[in-house]
Amino acid sequence: MALAATLLVTACSGGSDAAGSSDIDTAPKGEGQTLTVWTYEDKTSAMGIAWEEAMKKFTEETGAKVDFQLKSFEQINQSASQVLNSDSAPDVMEYNKGNATSGLLSSQGLLTDIGPAVEAYGWADKLSSSLQTTARYSDTGVMGSGNWYGIPNYGEYVQVYYNKDLFKKYDLEVPTTLDEFTQVLQTFKDQGITPLAESAQEYPLGQLLYQLALMNADRKWVTDYQTYTAPADFHDANWTAAANTLKEWVDKGYISKNSTGQKAQDAGDAFIAGTNPIFFSGSWWYGNFTTSNKFDWGTFLFPGAKLSPGSSGNLWVVPENSDAKDLAYKFMDITMSPEIQNLLGNSGGIPVAAEPDAITDEKSKDLITNFTTLNDQDGLAFYPDWPAPTFYADLNSSLQELVNGSKPVDAVLDQLQTDYDKGVKEIDG
Amino acid sequence: MRSESRKGYWLYLIPGAILLTVIIIVPLAWNVYLSFTRYRGIKPPIWIGLDNWKELFQDADFWASFQHSIVMVVAMVILPTAFGLFLASLLFDLVGRRFNGKIMGLLRAVYYLPQILPIAIAAIVVGWILRPEDGALNDLLKAVGLGGFQHNWLGSPDTALLSIAAVLVWIQIGYPVVVFMSALQRIDPQLYEAAELDGANWFQRFRAITLAGIRPEIFVVVLTCTVAALKVFGPVYALTRGGPGSSTIVPSYYSYTEFFTAQRVGYGATIATALTVVVLAVAIFFVRAQFRLADQEEQ
Repeated sequence: MALAATLLVTACSGGSDAAGSSDIDTAPKGEGQTLTVWTYEDKTSAMGIAWEEAMKKFTEETGAKVDFQLKSFEQINQSASQVLNSDSAPDVMEYNKGNATSGLLSSQGLLTDIGPAVEAYGWADKLSSSLQTTARYSDTGVMGSGNWYGIPNYGEYVQVYYNKDLFKKYDLEVPTTLDEFTQVLQTFKDQGITPLAESAQEYPLGQLLYQLALMNADRKWVTDYQTYTAPADFHDANWTAAANTLKEWVDKGYISKNSTGQKAQDAGDAFIAGTNPIFFSGSWWYGNFTTSNKFDWGTFLFPGAKLSPGSSGNLWVVPENSDAKDLAYKFMDITMSPEIQNLLGNSGGIPVAAEPDAITDEKSKDLITNFTTLNDQDGLAFYPDWPAPTFYADLNSSLQELVNGSKPVDAVLDQLQTDYDKGVKEIDG
Repeated sequence: MRSESRKGYWLYLIPGAILLTVIIIVPLAWNVYLSFTRYRGIKPPIWIGLDNWKELFQDADFWASFQHSIVMVVAMVILPTAFGLFLASLLFDLVGRRFNGKIMGLLRAVYYLPQILPIAIAAIVVGWILRPEDGALNDLLKAVGLGGFQHNWLGSPDTALLSIAAVLVWIQIGYPVVVFMSALQRIDPQLYEAAELDGANWFQRFRAITLAGIRPEIFVVVLTCTVAALKVFGPVYALTRGGPGSSTIVPSYYSYTEFFTAQRVGYGATIATALTVVVLAVAIFFVRAQFRLADQEEQ
């Protein structure tokens, strides 16, 4: 039931101010037409499986053909502005959410304001308010308010993956507080095992820092940080405590200094190999672990945290240059239908509008339950690198210096402040 | 009569001139223009005068990137040219004379191999070798009892730039070897024989005959490699992305991230323009030096 409550959450923020739904045809006829769809999810992924089914259903219902083109993430990310500015833009496209991506394109007039379609199809009712945050952008491209420029149809979040076999071997329970978690780390260290699989060259360590900063943070802190409603202060209690804890964990050997030379895949591989018993990372690893892990494993939300990194998945956006917008909306609506959402859930994804009883796969249920818990407590805190376009690289390079010890905690926080302010000025100014 | 016939030559220059204009001059002018604007890559650029340039001169990352370029010049020009000279003359002078040409050809090919390898592939392999936890280099050090020297090569600020530099020396060395060896074939072998009969040792022959004989090629190698070193991008992108911290950032990578990640196209264009100015200055310096030397020799 808890699942039902969250998955069918009623939106609290209102719809778009855009024109009424009268000009949206919710039963478009598409004979002789072709809908061009671009995505970057692998065909064997939960999304890939669900969307392939959605395309079949779309053709049955509208008579239109689908020209599906699988692109790489980088390909879309780096060339979207040029492509959408041309007449070879697709009709509907999967695109990365956030200020630096969908926000930028919307502020430059390349994406359609889909407010009327949101109203006509009632999508807002299917998305919780934190999931709506990434779908709406202001005139300057800042997420959280303004017109609708995209619709997410799956979710994602960061959690703790743990090696059950090793926990059992050392008689360890799943921790429920940060103190207990620290004790678990110490126990492994005492056994000569580096507990955390980490990478400071790519995202995992940045997300851990953010998670530690979120321990005593509230929604307002997140909103201020992510949407600039008040200046972010990297020397505040939350960030300072997080950076100090991280430094302490490096010094105590819970995190290897070698993580500065490792990529996310290296950290994931170390967890799969059983080298490190704990991996704090995103739900996107789930499917990989299901097939690769040779040991018994489980997941839990970060102990003691109400907020965790997480958000809606990527968005369906409709380029301004699309000439089949009604068909594009119809396709998006089909991906939001219970049938496709259930298929997404049963294939290892996290649907935003599934029927809970229809999710039968046990592992998928775990994954969705954790997401539900987080979403229920309004706990999706987005990601630390979102506020500014270069902040992902900035965060990683600062954390490398923290782990190396080449900069003291205070100087690392100074650097983060400078980089954040510079990036925000670029977006806002 | 003569000037009439010369007029006809200009026609043949037109295709090249058009290509040069379209591919080089127009983008270059556009790039210079963008360096005076604020531009996120989509809506029209906004003129902001010298703001980007003022920022550039106070930008610590930009100056750090140019300092790293100096390390790249050492790694891609000075060391490979010096080793290249030594190896080429060794192969030509000793190996070539004592063994058959096949062995010399084989060795030359071996040195040149890294040049053929796409940089992305080379970088992936090198990335594996240098991995801190289970990389081949660290495993090798441990196996031969030098475990104390194991290191987080690309992840520590003290060794990341040097590791990339070492890779570049390896990649780069084949180029001067091949150029110098073909240059050496121009030199009359009798010169060496005569010098040898006169009692000149290997180093004396090297200095007086080899070095003097292939000076034009040395100029070409140094010029092209210096330009390549200033523009180096691939290994930094593939191995470290400028990190840890900004310890391996180089101008072209910095310009790339400003263009494509920060969406500050105007500022990225400023870095690219500054880099172009430096590359042009270096090229002009070398070409003039070469002309001067050629003039001196003629006199």
